[in-house]
Amino acid sequence: MRDRTTLVMIGVVLLLAGLAWSRGGWELAGSGLRTGLWTLVRMSPLLVAAFLIAGLIQIFLTQENVSRWLGAESGWRGILLACASGSLVPGGPFIYYPIAATLFHAGASLGVVVAFVSAKNLWPLVRLPLEFALLGPRLTLIRLAATLFIPPLLGFLTQGLLARHGETIRERLKP
Amino acid sequence: MNLATLTMVVLAAALWTYARWRGDGSHWRGFLRGLSTLRNTLPLLVLAFIVVGYATVLVPESGLPERMGPASGGKGLLLALGIGTLIPGGPYVALPLISTLNELGIGLGATLALINGWAGLSLLHVAWEIRYLGWRFTAVRWTLMMFSLLLIGYLAQVIFERSL
Repeated sequence: MRDRTTLVMIGVVLLLAGLAWSRGGWELAGSGLRTGLWTLVRMSPLLVAAFLIAGLIQIFLTQENVSRWLGAESGWRGILLACASGSLVPGGPFIYYPIAATLFHAGASLGVVVAFVSAKNLWPLVRLPLEFALLGPRLTLIRLAATLFIPPLLGFLTQGLLARHGETIRERLKP
Repeated sequence: MNLATLTMVVLAAALWTYARWRGDGSHWRGFLRGLSTLRNTLPLLVLAFIVVGYATVLVPESGLPERMGPASGGKGLLLALGIGTLIPGGPYVALPLISTLNELGIGLGATLALINGWAGLSLLHVAWEIRYLGWRFTAVRWTLMMFSLLLIGYLAQVIFERSL
């Protein structure tokens, strides 16, 4: 997966370099390259700290812990707990979607699972140091404040408006 | 050293000290985990920042800042959310690019729509979501998420940008 992403990125870099060259010759092509590398060098202390923080958080949190916290809670308590667990669970989509499916099959309501996935997408604790480093404190704080209510709201909306469809969706998912 | 770097260094030191205090070797495991992620991600980081460099020199003349600028309204938000869902890769690729677009003049509403579109509605993640939770679940979550994110972008435009 990572190799594919790297290959795509190499393609994008070559495309952009070609575009810059066609617009402004070697000067513009070189200027883009220099600007990018200099930004990376300037941000490197921040990035090293961000990766260290992310590594330590991942050691403190394990998938097993997070799944255990969620358990079979339901109702508003379940939704709030799902938001907290979604934020804490480490790993990419190949890890948290199977966890979400396990919770759903184990009896968690549709609202709880929507809240869990939304919190993982919008508030992941492990990504926070990188957001802070790469976007800056102001944008990160504004984004967090603006999206703070989204995962619980989506959970409650789903629970309130679509709870009766939860069983159908669960039944159709069974192999 | 600026405030952001200082905050991160202090936070890293505090977490490392706590991990060491636990006495189970987690300070070394965490350190090695972070280092290993950084080492594995370094080629991607270098490429992502080169893309950022080219975005810095090419985007201003592309008209994108105007199309997603503070006065771009709903069209700018939809464009930003759409582009956000298409941005490939993890935070190392997406966040520096979005940060650069923000510095080049796209509005706060569009910036939030870009980040949230990438984080909450990534097309690359849909395959996983449908595979494990089914298309009905995905349709419910996507519909609710899309409207919420557009609302956030709109509120950001109204609160932060029209008052400027």
